[in-house]
Amino acid sequence: MKTTLRSGLLALALSATGFAAQADITVYTAGPASLAKALAADFTAETGINVNLYQATTGKVMARLKAEESNPQADVVISASWDTATAFADQGLLMAYTSPNAQNVPDFLKSDTAVAQGVAALGIAWNPNSGTPKPTEWADLAKDDFKLMVTMPDPAASGSAYELVSGLYANGQGELFDKLAGNGALVAGANKAALTPVLQGAKAAVFGAVDYIALGSKATGESIDVIWPESGTVIAARPMMILKSTQNAEDAKKFIDFVLSDKGQEEVAKVYLMPARTDIKALRPTITELKQLPKSGTEAGSRGEVLDMFTKAFGK
Amino acid sequence: MAERRAAVSGVTTALTTAALIVVVALPFVFIVLQAIFPDIGAGSFSRPFEHLGAVLKSEDFATQSANSLILGAGVVLTSALIATPLAAIRALYRLPGALIWDLLFLVPFMIPPYIATLGWVLSLQPAGYLQQLTGINLAGFLFSLPGIVFVMAMHTFPVIYFAASRSFAAIGARYSDVSRVFGAGPGRAFWRITLPLATPAVAASLLLVFAMTIEEYGTPAVLGARFDFDVLVTGIDTSLSDWPIDLPKAALLSLALIALSLAAFGFQRRIATARDFDVVGGKSTRAPQRNLGIWRGPALTLFALVAFVSTGFPLLAILATALSRTISGGLKPSNMGFENFRAIMTDSSGALSAMGTSFGLGLVAAIVAGFFGIAIAYVTTRGGSGRGRSLIDALAMLPNAAPGVVVALGLILLWNQPALPVTPYNTLGILVLAYVCILLPQPVRYTVAAFQQVNPSLEAAARVHGASATRTAWRVLVPLVAPSVLAAMLLVFTVAARELVASLLVAPVGTDTIGTYVWRQFDQGSIGEGMAVAFLTIIATTLVPLGILSALRKVERSGSSATNL
Repeated sequence: MKTTLRSGLLALALSATGFAAQADITVYTAGPASLAKALAADFTAETGINVNLYQATTGKVMARLKAEESNPQADVVISASWDTATAFADQGLLMAYTSPNAQNVPDFLKSDTAVAQGVAALGIAWNPNSGTPKPTEWADLAKDDFKLMVTMPDPAASGSAYELVSGLYANGQGELFDKLAGNGALVAGANKAALTPVLQGAKAAVFGAVDYIALGSKATGESIDVIWPESGTVIAARPMMILKSTQNAEDAKKFIDFVLSDKGQEEVAKVYLMPARTDIKALRPTITELKQLPKSGTEAGSRGEVLDMFTKAFGK
Repeated sequence: MAERRAAVSGVTTALTTAALIVVVALPFVFIVLQAIFPDIGAGSFSRPFEHLGAVLKSEDFATQSANSLILGAGVVLTSALIATPLAAIRALYRLPGALIWDLLFLVPFMIPPYIATLGWVLSLQPAGYLQQLTGINLAGFLFSLPGIVFVMAMHTFPVIYFAASRSFAAIGARYSDVSRVFGAGPGRAFWRITLPLATPAVAASLLLVFAMTIEEYGTPAVLGARFDFDVLVTGIDTSLSDWPIDLPKAALLSLALIALSLAAFGFQRRIATARDFDVVGGKSTRAPQRNLGIWRGPALTLFALVAFVSTGFPLLAILATALSRTISGGLKPSNMGFENFRAIMTDSSGALSAMGTSFGLGLVAAIVAGFFGIAIAYVTTRGGSGRGRSLIDALAMLPNAAPGVVVALGLILLWNQPALPVTPYNTLGILVLAYVCILLPQPVRYTVAAFQQVNPSLEAAARVHGASATRTAWRVLVPLVAPSVLAAMLLVFTVAARELVASLLVAPVGTDTIGTYVWRQFDQGSIGEGMAVAFLTIIATTLVPLGILSALRKVERSGSSATNL
């Protein structure tokens, strides 16, 4: 304890006197932290360029970017929601860049100003020890077997849950939410908040779990299964963007290239995300194996309209 | 002499005011600017007041304000009901193991509220630890308004306990003895003499609990979300986290929260100034404590019960989670092991460096805030002119009115201005600034209450004997208030070491504190590892007070010998 305390004080003294190591690029990223750290370490090892990481939820990353607007600190931003890439591009905040390593990234996972780091899909996370029959469809969670036993991330807080809600509304399955509400489903918090009660057995299943988090829990020995319904689900791509305000454009581009390299994409695969490149092996079912909902969620209406319908269904 | 004293006070006043303006006032100015000018973050003053009407008219705003008020009042009332009898017994009677009980009641304060809340959820929800052990679950109670009030009061009652027992002890039994001589019963003596004399100190701690409650984020966020109980702080966080980010709305809700706190502060000031008693006079007040007699057993049972529910239960839940290999495995011997502790000891995820950073930051913040607090309390209670004093007083209390996330927002807006030649932004210095700003009211409040209890005749006596103003302050005032200042610094250290909300937003890139580390583990990592770090932190921050408490006793002894001069 003494040594850690001393090192803390030392670090404090160093930074106060301005001798803190000056990083070459600054990356703001949504979780998971282990992936962000691994990518940064490997990138530094390969290129000698230091990476200063700020990792938080997509919401906190955006709040910090917004507050720093007059003097942007970040060079690269990685979000968990493609919405932010679209919005930032519309606001003219992004630098156009197409990485040479993005050749094997399918077109719907890249634009002029953003490219996916990896992709998650939404599914049902189910605890096999919960004494409930294994669900195979979204609608199963609205049945009596799951009365009061279902949680769902709040689409207002979780970008990926929003994608699922708007997707299901667009594909004419909106009445599902009325049934879920009638079945006592609990809508609370973001993704992990919905998963934790299911792990302990307080609830049996998550409707709309971000699959890589649940798959990661399963890998550590938790009693949890992920089910992707046959009727279709939605995917959530994680865009990487370079801010136009960057002073380190070349190094930022190198970072994007690295994340899309074989090594970078393997790191992405390790946390059970689908790699953005189709030629890198995933440790889980990929886009080609998962059935997606036919119509895009944007057909359900604006964000406000979708959230209103959802709120009405749950009588919140 | 009089001129010299005024000069010293003048310099002190000016320096204190300047420091307060930089540390407190400027960040808040930027929050007000943000509330008025939506694009201030981009350096533009366009579209002023665009948000104001919509936010004020919205239904959320009224509900959230009312809920904050209800929650604050409920927690203050519950904490006071728990803490006051305990404090009276502790201060006025010879309680077996008094220091052990003090230590045990410090622990709830060492448990970060968001972690304690998670512990309560893991224990009381269906299939939680309680159900695994006894077959019953209390989910219905936990996810309700009484449940939130209970969980938060379990965290905040020590604030009142320590303030009240310290104050009761300072008053001692002398004054109530007089009333006993005149025929009052012991209960009447306590209600009519001791409690009213202790009012300023107790009211200050009640206000502190109110402010802590309405700006607390973790507990209402976790529990309130389960039954649609939104408060202002969760509303602020929603505007800051849910796409699209709405900084002006967050700033406006913050101003509402500030108004709520200022109203409470004004209320407390009226009580405190209406009843300002000098109970530390020139004579020793350390009258012997009474024996509990036949009440010994019931008193000890009460202390043990409160200690178990507030300290033992959450600690056991945290430890159980830290020792569980998997959450779904439950409380079975086969599922228990030290894997999580081993994992953090290898430091692959940065747990140890996060702890080092946080303890270092906590220490620096405590020292800075402690000395700052003395200066402010000295100026407001002893020196300076009226107008400057109330300005300083108001500034020093301002952070109490704002949640950490708002302070963080103000700090970014202020210190990330491109025009600044040097800035602490993106260094650990910004975290020290944030912690000092957020926690400054605590040393100020404790020290002001202590100063108010010291009879100015003591200083007059020192001056008469030829001591200078500075010498008088250092040799007479400071030793007398030192126990209170130390207690406040302790508070700053422990709260700063585990602070979450502001740290999450302003931590320099690449830096983890204990709060942000644990939160990340909960968010997408291993809950077990997060709980293991939390457990070690609680143990470490409890051992520090052990040392401080023994130091406190030495200071108290020399302090009382000074009063006996």
